[in-house]
Amino acid sequence: MELLSGEILSNEKYSDNLYRMEIFSPYICKNATAGQFINVKCSPESVLDPLLRRPFGIFDIEEKFNVFSILYRVKGRGTKFLSELKRGDILDFAGPMGNEIDLNGNENNILLIGGGIGIAPLYLIAKLAGGMKKNVFFAAGFKDNSYLRWEKDLIELKINHAVLTEDGSWGEKGLVSDYVWNNIRSFKNFDIYCCGPRDMLKTLQNIYKDRNNKVTALLDERMACGVGVCSGCVVKLRKGKRGFSYKKVCKDGPAFNLGEVIFD
Amino acid sequence: MIEQNSLFSYETDTIGNESSLSVRLGRIKLDNPVIACSGTFAYGVEYSQFYNTAILGAVTTKSYSLKPIKGNPPPRICETASGMLNSIGLQNDGIDMFIKKHLRKAEKLGIKIILSIFGQDLEEFRKVASRAADVKERIIAVELNLSCPNVKKGGMAFSAMPDEVEKIVSSTVSILNIPVIAKLSPNYQNLVEAAMAAKKGGAEALSVINTVVGMAVDIETFRPRLGNVLGGLSGPAVKPIALAKVYSLTREKILPVIGMGGIFSWQDALEFLLVGASAVGVGTANFIQYDVGKKIIEGLRNYLKEKKIYNINELIGRLRT
Repeated sequence: MELLSGEILSNEKYSDNLYRMEIFSPYICKNATAGQFINVKCSPESVLDPLLRRPFGIFDIEEKFNVFSILYRVKGRGTKFLSELKRGDILDFAGPMGNEIDLNGNENNILLIGGGIGIAPLYLIAKLAGGMKKNVFFAAGFKDNSYLRWEKDLIELKINHAVLTEDGSWGEKGLVSDYVWNNIRSFKNFDIYCCGPRDMLKTLQNIYKDRNNKVTALLDERMACGVGVCSGCVVKLRKGKRGFSYKKVCKDGPAFNLGEVIFD
Repeated sequence: MIEQNSLFSYETDTIGNESSLSVRLGRIKLDNPVIACSGTFAYGVEYSQFYNTAILGAVTTKSYSLKPIKGNPPPRICETASGMLNSIGLQNDGIDMFIKKHLRKAEKLGIKIILSIFGQDLEEFRKVASRAADVKERIIAVELNLSCPNVKKGGMAFSAMPDEVEKIVSSTVSILNIPVIAKLSPNYQNLVEAAMAAKKGGAEALSVINTVVGMAVDIETFRPRLGNVLGGLSGPAVKPIALAKVYSLTREKILPVIGMGGIFSWQDALEFLLVGASAVGVGTANFIQYDVGKKIIEGLRNYLKEKKIYNINELIGRLRT
């Protein structure tokens, strides 16, 4: 993990609030892998408002070109600042952070379940697992069709997938968790990675409660340092029969066994 | 050669012609005035991947209690205008774990440790201090976190009650026999009285300020943005408050002060030194600029060189009013 700066090669608008930013960084391309994130300063140099860095899961790595990218939604002041950066600007970031996901130890079949911007870190898993000749299926759910451009990226990877939207404007109408439930038999021998809103994760936790699949959730929490010092980004995990402990998303995660997570 | 042109006495320069950054707070001698604040630096190991954290004047550990504490429910962090609120809830794995495990790692890296401790009553403070006494040769001082709630007195912070401050300081001083620093809260009107009480109890220095109590509300859900409702505000937003609080103490010349609150640059650090702080604490800035401690030391050194000031002590308390 290092403090880095990298040139922005593109900051493409995918839809009203969705952007994909490509950054030149041999260091990240060499050292980062699935499940990891970068922590980005979202204000001009020497400006301290917005104050905190923002974590972004690494969306894609193109090692050949020393370029990696993040996919982000403009939600507040930090991401607004990012969306206004131009090609040639320098991004101040640190990484790679968080633990890597080891795809070697998996079943040959991998199901990725993403909700909204939760698809971002799963995309890199899809790419890397696909590269390992694993059978990958990506189920993605969205509110509307604002992520439409992302499907093009996925098609380039030649990954089988299903898209669901709440308003029915793209793919099937419905929730991705319902899709998973309706097709539960087809995914019997799959290892599962999921990332998305709490409600989606809670539903998946119920669906997979008594099944044998290995289900890993990539979690997100408000973060201050990103390096495991401040204990700000904790999530509650089961410990023993009735107990619990707080674990840091940045240092102990961001990937956790979904069955162990307590959603209060 | 060092020009003896100041009214202050200072240490002999040790690094050739470079200006001296070393400072003294009572018996505590630091190579430079930059200290990492409690709770923002763990015990210095994580940040050593970004720079050699042994160059810091000292690192104050996170606060340790007798037994491990799980901490508050999330969310624990909320960003505010030029600042952040936190309600970590003093999460820590207990003083024994620090002594058995963490201290050795910090020592290996050459980090100078100030151990921060707290308790929910006088008895716990005494017990934690007794454990700390076992490793007193391996640390340079103990900082008492007096902003934590006093469970036996209705949960109000010890810092709000000068009598309690004196009792805790004097009993830990007698147990420890090494310098004790009292970290005081800015949230009560009687800061000067609390500082006097710390002095009476035998404290070597004061750390000022701890975070300023605050809150934030989510207008979509009508819920507080922190799991614990209230939190502590830190960052650039609190710097003017911190400076004024430090000034209120240095003006009275009670004890040497480690000034902290919103320091993000060497210029910020210098402001605190000018109002009379003998050292500075860098806290929240570590979360954003991981090598800020190093940058502040370098910045102060360059400033002295440029201004041809040979000793940083010449600047301490030079505020013109």
